[in-house]
Amino acid sequence: MNRRDFLTRSAAIATLAASPRALAAAAAAALPKGRAEHCIFLWLGGGMAQIDTFDPKRRGNTKSKPMLAGSDYAAIDTAVPGVRYTEHLARTAQLAEHVTAVRTVNHTLGIEHALATNYVHTGRPVSGSTVYPSLGSVVAHQRGAADERVPAYMVIGYPSVSRGPGFLGAKHGYIHLVDTESGPAGFTPPEGIDAARMAERRRLLEPLQKTGTPDSALSDYAEAQREALRLAGPGFMRHFKLAEEPAALRQSYGGEFGQRCLLARRLVQAGVRFIEVSHNLNFINGAGWDTHNAGQLNQHVLIRELDAALASLITDLRDKGLLDKTLIALGTEFGRPGQFDSGGGRGHQSAAFSLLLAGGGLRHRGAYGTTDEFSNKPVEHGVSVPDFHATIYAALGINPAKELVNASRPVPITDGGKPIAALFG
Amino acid sequence: MPRFLTLLVLLAAPIAAAGVRVEICEEGVLRSGWPATEPAATESFAEDAFGLFELPLKYVATGVRGDRASPTLVRASATITLPPGRHRLLLRSRGAARLSVAGRMVLETPFDQPRQFAVGNAGELPVEEQETFIELDAGVRFLPPGNREALGEIAWEDAAPREVVLETLIGGIEPKSKRPFRPELGETIVAVSLAGTGEWRLLAPSALQVPYTDAGWAAYTAERRERFAVMNAAARAARRAQHAGYWEKRRAAAHAWLSSTPEVPVPTLAAGFAAHNPVDHFIAARIAQAAAQETPRVRSGGVDFFREIKPILEAHCYSCHQGAKVKGELRLDTRAAALHGGAGDGPAIAPGLPKASALFQRITSSDPEEVMPAKGDRLSPRDVALIERWIAEGAVWPEFPPGRRSPTPLADDLTFLRRVSLDTVGVVPSEAEIAGFLSDPAATRRARAIERLLADPRGADHQMGYWLDVLAENPNLINPTLNNTGPFRWWLHESLIDHKPLDLLVTELIRQEGSERFGGPAGFGIASQNDVPAAAKGIILAGAFLGVEMKCARCHDAPTHAAKQSELFQLAAMLEKKPLKVPATSSVPLDHLRLGGRMPLIEVTLAPGTTVAPAWPFARFCDEATAAAIAEEPDNSRDHLAALITAPQNERFAQVMVNRLWQRLMGRGLVETVGDWEKSSPTHPELLRWLGRELVRNGYDLRAIERIILGSHAYQRAADPAMTEPSPLFVAPAPRRIGAEQFVDSLFAATGKPFAVEPVNLDLDSVRTIENALDLGRATRAWMLASTSNERDRPSLMLPRIQAVADVMEVFGWRAARPDASSGIRENAANVLQPALLSNGTMMTWLTRLSDDHGLTRLALEEQSPERLVERLFLRFFTRPPTAEEANTYIAALAPGYAGRVVSRTDPAPAPPVRRKYVAWSNHMKSEANSLRLEEETAARRGDAPTARLDSDWRRRFEDVIWALLNAPEWTVIL
Repeated sequence: MNRRDFLTRSAAIATLAASPRALAAAAAAALPKGRAEHCIFLWLGGGMAQIDTFDPKRRGNTKSKPMLAGSDYAAIDTAVPGVRYTEHLARTAQLAEHVTAVRTVNHTLGIEHALATNYVHTGRPVSGSTVYPSLGSVVAHQRGAADERVPAYMVIGYPSVSRGPGFLGAKHGYIHLVDTESGPAGFTPPEGIDAARMAERRRLLEPLQKTGTPDSALSDYAEAQREALRLAGPGFMRHFKLAEEPAALRQSYGGEFGQRCLLARRLVQAGVRFIEVSHNLNFINGAGWDTHNAGQLNQHVLIRELDAALASLITDLRDKGLLDKTLIALGTEFGRPGQFDSGGGRGHQSAAFSLLLAGGGLRHRGAYGTTDEFSNKPVEHGVSVPDFHATIYAALGINPAKELVNASRPVPITDGGKPIAALFG
Repeated sequence: MPRFLTLLVLLAAPIAAAGVRVEICEEGVLRSGWPATEPAATESFAEDAFGLFELPLKYVATGVRGDRASPTLVRASATITLPPGRHRLLLRSRGAARLSVAGRMVLETPFDQPRQFAVGNAGELPVEEQETFIELDAGVRFLPPGNREALGEIAWEDAAPREVVLETLIGGIEPKSKRPFRPELGETIVAVSLAGTGEWRLLAPSALQVPYTDAGWAAYTAERRERFAVMNAAARAARRAQHAGYWEKRRAAAHAWLSSTPEVPVPTLAAGFAAHNPVDHFIAARIAQAAAQETPRVRSGGVDFFREIKPILEAHCYSCHQGAKVKGELRLDTRAAALHGGAGDGPAIAPGLPKASALFQRITSSDPEEVMPAKGDRLSPRDVALIERWIAEGAVWPEFPPGRRSPTPLADDLTFLRRVSLDTVGVVPSEAEIAGFLSDPAATRRARAIERLLADPRGADHQMGYWLDVLAENPNLINPTLNNTGPFRWWLHESLIDHKPLDLLVTELIRQEGSERFGGPAGFGIASQNDVPAAAKGIILAGAFLGVEMKCARCHDAPTHAAKQSELFQLAAMLEKKPLKVPATSSVPLDHLRLGGRMPLIEVTLAPGTTVAPAWPFARFCDEATAAAIAEEPDNSRDHLAALITAPQNERFAQVMVNRLWQRLMGRGLVETVGDWEKSSPTHPELLRWLGRELVRNGYDLRAIERIILGSHAYQRAADPAMTEPSPLFVAPAPRRIGAEQFVDSLFAATGKPFAVEPVNLDLDSVRTIENALDLGRATRAWMLASTSNERDRPSLMLPRIQAVADVMEVFGWRAARPDASSGIRENAANVLQPALLSNGTMMTWLTRLSDDHGLTRLALEEQSPERLVERLFLRFFTRPPTAEEANTYIAALAPGYAGRVVSRTDPAPAPPVRRKYVAWSNHMKSEANSLRLEEETAARRGDAPTARLDSDWRRRFEDVIWALLNAPEWTVIL
């Protein structure tokens, strides 16, 4: 009996059972599928303290002896009845109907920054045999740029392997920039090289670009070079001219982080699919979001900066009719406990922390999931990092269970992640 | 401001011996404080002055880097004569130090690393502390990061000699964690300023004058580094000599094996082919054979298998139906296998009869249980139609892609020189090398160039990037948690400098002896945050040295490779020297796999919790009994494993190694998939065996094979610019994409711009313990860089100059971090970021800006015609003279104002040193550290100031010409 006969007979025996493939297809149909076209991923490196931001609890006190666990600030009502944020998120609180603070994210990857950062970017533990792609690279791979004249994936922040394309390969990597004014390295002429001099340089390059044979290694490079020179031209670089934006709008976004968010909105308009915006220019309190000890003292300034940037981004996208097609996600490698450390700051905690989703056409609810007394553990609706990623992918119309191929090995986009169903439909 | 004034009257004491005797004491040293009795020296060497910054390295075993004790006491003593008078003395050190003159302590510095650790490990060391220093005379070097200092005055009564002793404690143990600090000297010096002078020099017993200025120190350390390199090489050689007896026996055993096995006959040269050596005989025979076989099968006008069918098979079928282990016993990678078909399905291809071909039935089936591919999207109607037509036309499947079948003639001499220089030393030839080459007699110049280049120590640099990829070296400067290893790069580099035989090199790697954190092969054994590091290493060893792909076997049996998970764990247990238990995290839950869908593609036959004993899983390559006969310590399972991998009986090893070299030099392996021999068969099996035996015959010295390949006509042929893939028959080289390291090193070499980046170290002042901070030293070649890995997104943890170079290297395929093993073949397609970073990136600003230290500034200052200047630029950049059109363009650009271009030929006076605060891990949480780093970043982006020695208008035009030449596509390929 050959295999075909066997299969035919088994099928005949199990006439009433749907084929497994059909079952899988049915399951796929049940997966929520969003309509978002772009994603802005705000990265708060260091570990944002959820109890001082999106998951407030009763007030603690660092001045008493012993110190009392709890939020360091008062909580305020938001636009969503029953959902409260910290007082320093006053503007975002007014927009809570466009926001879901997912309060029960958790992982067990430990509390070392680089390792956890890698996990929240890739959704997989570090492996010695596979380098997994980041969220941004997967989205770039699956959906490409919305406009072929711009890259699919950009990072406003520093390069790192966690943000990289892993096994998807360099062409699904990011273009990064640190300085919003000058744009990404490679696309802005260096200081002191004006248009005339650039034109002269290109003229001098011409004799060397005649590479003879078409479709050769040389001509491929010459072709890429023409493309790069075009991108370096005014068309692409125009997107980095924040000065074109109304002064009042720029101001409302706030400091450098806000300006990065404003730039991200412009890049969305230009057709960039995924933009990661990093917020840890630790000028405000030295530690950035890594608020150990005295790092706590100025944490409220950071939170207010986040508030201004996030609220402006939401309203700006809404005003331009882009909010439903632009998912804002906020990432951080872990959270912090409700208890204080001996220096009045907070240590690391990965057992429960808050990540945020906003816009993107999701059915928002201000907050999702509940944690215990001091936000140390989820009480209901725990959300794993793969679940959080799956929600982002689903919002962008990407099946989180789809298999990518690493060499010959099938690798599902998320490690069994399930989108948060309550946010769809 | 601390200021120690010591007023002493010192009496002369009679002592002998010139020079500074430096003694290293690793025993009898206290963890903190000075020992009551002088510890005995475990090593000593002679120095010329009281200027210490490095010690000769310590080598263990067969000559691999080892660790020194923590702490280690270093004692430097000399008999010093100074003119009578009251002189000032300066003591600087990283660890605690004390200085005595004629038996009396005159100066000391504290051991405050634990205090620095307490604050600095949290990144909270106040930047303002750097404002506390001893004010010295103008021009004296500023205190380097992490050093302590003390100043005093001594009264030297007469001109008689006195004994001066400097002691310092390096390394040390952090009291709470009990972990050691890096044993570094920093800049441990004694300097003297004689009465009435404002000048400082290193204290020295001889007439040697080392001004203690930046320039004086730089010259002194450069000279010392060369001396240390010689001393270190001698120390390694001495270590290796202790094991010479064993390795001579291994050589004898290899020769015995050679003579007991049949030689591979070298074919006679086919008619009409040119040949330089036996390689060409094999190549010619294969071309002739292929031509004879394929003529009747080629058919014109039909579907083109290589262009139209093979890409479909590769994309949709080969992940399961290629190589030795396949699904459904069906291989689709050769015509014969496809005609034979799989299990119970009949022939996959019945030529002329699509409907009778299982391949066609499967791709068109409407039954979800039947249709292929089993996973993913169905084939497009276009692809289905192509396959149908191809089968209907008779399924024409030639052995080799159509194209050139006759060899090209030899490349011209200069093209050859450029190619062979890039392939051996990794940089383009200099003007002097070109001139030397051309002055050799035409008949012998190529052979002489090959010999010269194979003896060049830069060859070790060139090979580094490749082996770091293959062996997945992955050090992290701080807090290694991303599957990080130790920096075993230094062991590898020294092994390549020493031209270590490959069997010894692999044995050392597997033995994992020496230092974990300071460059010994022990660093290979580390895999931070990995549940079974030895399994990760087993994957690397199998791929690198045996061409066996085992990645899948990490968690389950490989679906389309022979490797079983139990085999990988046997290998891992050999590395661990004990049975290993399979953790649940190294497995895949089976119920998870069986949910829906067809039969799962993978199988788990090794249950979590199973204990696996050490065993050799590759009896197919070499019988386990072999090891007992040749291993140095047969009872040590690592040694046992090393012997089995490197034994001559294991022909696979030698063949994998020659194949890797062949791939690098010829653009394509004799086995195309160099790290995975299951997925392709050798195109030239006899040549492969012949080369493998030559490697054994030559004592596993890979250079012997390199000499043969580089000398062959096949290597030296002119590239066919129209070819995008190397010819599997090696009729002509295809242009190859230049490697990232080759490119960056060549750009700096050709322009003469110094390769100046930050130290590859985020813990400059050495406040962290060794497991959390590495110092990868001063990079002089591109391979020495590492990921700046700023996962924390903190500006203060940025290394802007390294990042500027790394940005360029990464877009050309360099891997800043290497968390997994690579086959050795990098992705190298042209992409838009490459030219973008070259046209506008920071590194290009440095190379284009004619600063005073730029090599092309010196070139422009030379008296020569503009024609000659342009010609020399082309030689330096492209190893060829310019074409007439090129010459005209660039001469025309440079001619206006050429005569008046030189403003001044005298070297500018060095700018006075500026005191700069440093940023390191110790202070990176401080806001000021961020501001300082951003200033450094701005300075890096701006580049050095242009020279004032050239007229600025002309200089700008010359810079524009340089920019154009640096951006030429020609740079990016090796022709």
